[in-house]
Amino acid sequence: MCGIVGFLDKSGNRQAPVGQVLLNMLTALGRRGPDSAGVALYGDHGDSRLVVRVKLGEPGLCDAQGTQVTERVKATARVIEASVRGEYLRLVVDDQGDLTSLERAIEATGEDIEVVSMGRRLEVVKQVGSPENLELTYGISSFVGTHGLGHTRMSTESRVDLSHSQPFWAHGLPDVAVVHNGHITNYHKLRRRYEQQGYRFYTENDSEIIGVYLAQQMSRGASFAAALRSSLRDFDGSFSYLAATADSLGFVKDPFAFKPLVVTETSSYVALATEEIALQTALGGDFPVWEPGVKQVQTWQVEERLAA
Amino acid sequence: MREVDCTGKTSREINQEIRQLVSDGEQEIVVLRPQARHNLAVAILQPVKLVFEGSVGYYCAGMVDGPSVEIRGSAGWGVAEGMMSGTVIVTQNAGNSAAASIRGGTVVVRGSVGARAGIAMKGGTLIIQGNCGYMTGFMMQKGTIIVCGDAEEALGDSIYEGRIFVGGNIAELGNDAVIQELTPEDHNFLASTLARYGITSAYPFKKIVAGGRLWRFDKKEFETWREAL
Repeated sequence: MCGIVGFLDKSGNRQAPVGQVLLNMLTALGRRGPDSAGVALYGDHGDSRLVVRVKLGEPGLCDAQGTQVTERVKATARVIEASVRGEYLRLVVDDQGDLTSLERAIEATGEDIEVVSMGRRLEVVKQVGSPENLELTYGISSFVGTHGLGHTRMSTESRVDLSHSQPFWAHGLPDVAVVHNGHITNYHKLRRRYEQQGYRFYTENDSEIIGVYLAQQMSRGASFAAALRSSLRDFDGSFSYLAATADSLGFVKDPFAFKPLVVTETSSYVALATEEIALQTALGGDFPVWEPGVKQVQTWQVEERLAA
Repeated sequence: MREVDCTGKTSREINQEIRQLVSDGEQEIVVLRPQARHNLAVAILQPVKLVFEGSVGYYCAGMVDGPSVEIRGSAGWGVAEGMMSGTVIVTQNAGNSAAASIRGGTVVVRGSVGARAGIAMKGGTLIIQGNCGYMTGFMMQKGTIIVCGDAEEALGDSIYEGRIFVGGNIAELGNDAVIQELTPEDHNFLASTLARYGITSAYPFKKIVAGGRLWRFDKKEFETWREAL
């Protein structure tokens, strides 16, 4: 049992209170997953800039490790901002297009160091504990942007730590992230196949395979919606999952409707959650709510406003 | 008529308040701002009228015997699960497993329902004014499901007994679910039952019942079993 949530402001307003909405939704679902909480936030960081979130290693050594990673990155890219908060180093760098080399350079700093997200819009923030603690450590409620995902985890098969928490970034592909409720039962088989192709897995969490899958499909040219649709054919098991790109949000529901998911859409926003209580708590009011049918896939796009 | 405001209260506190009012002899209770909380009004065994002004979460009005419940909003999974008698009306949509295992009474969903509505029904009536999801009526044993709209795949899968009427399209019948001609009694039942809940449009209903092939195991029909299981 886990709780997943998603929110997208359809107006193209880049200052929508995405962090606050996701936090309220996650808090309402906290009891579905007390192990860890996380969000994928899509904001506006300016053109040609890449935001990199790096999980550092030992508590107490974070500042030193942060400096070490920053110095290493400076050798290859212009660093515009660098700050350490909690277990993370957050870097804003000039986007030179080569994500993989940058990621390798950062992770070569130390064994525990892991790039948690990269993108022009995306920032993943996750940790062990409740959504309330995530807010206390990182103040996610003040984050503004266009859309985002959230997750509260109840671990069933793999370890409880920051790396195994969700959302998962689709390593290698900027801005793509997923949150999953369920169990991908052909995970081991798929993982072996991807490892043979050179994909790296950071965890033993079956949900990680969704990010890897989307990264592979989309880097081969599949559209976001097409990659979501084909995953219905390629994944076995129970899943309601949400995924997002720099400018869109979508859901996939398994062929047996094993896992809950409700959707609401108004003229100004789309919101999705495992239980309606999250929608009512965060957005309150009178809106139509429905449970999508089996094998349903739907995506929504952020409206791009003309530059003001 | 008495009101219960859910603001700042847990499901347990709200249920205790409702039960206190019921045992005080209150005939009509209006529950304000339920905000999709779970397990509201479970195991109410008196013929009281309960109105929820807003959406409810999972298992609302589960295991009830006798009340008349109206949910002005949507309902989560398992609305009216295990109901013995009474009426539960949902004015919008309901999630998975609506009216699961009910033994009597009537559940009316004005909108559409998720998967496995009426699973293991043992009596009573489930009316869905909109569409129904995957595996509606799965393993039902008795009672009636009326779907005015369309039905998703695996309709009536492994049904033992009982009947399902569908007014719209059927994406696919489940294992051992077969279509049967409606009798004059069926037509009368549909007209009178639907009229009672203000549904007066005429639908071209199809009737789905058990084919009986899965009632007893026969080695010669092993292939049928393999597919059903």
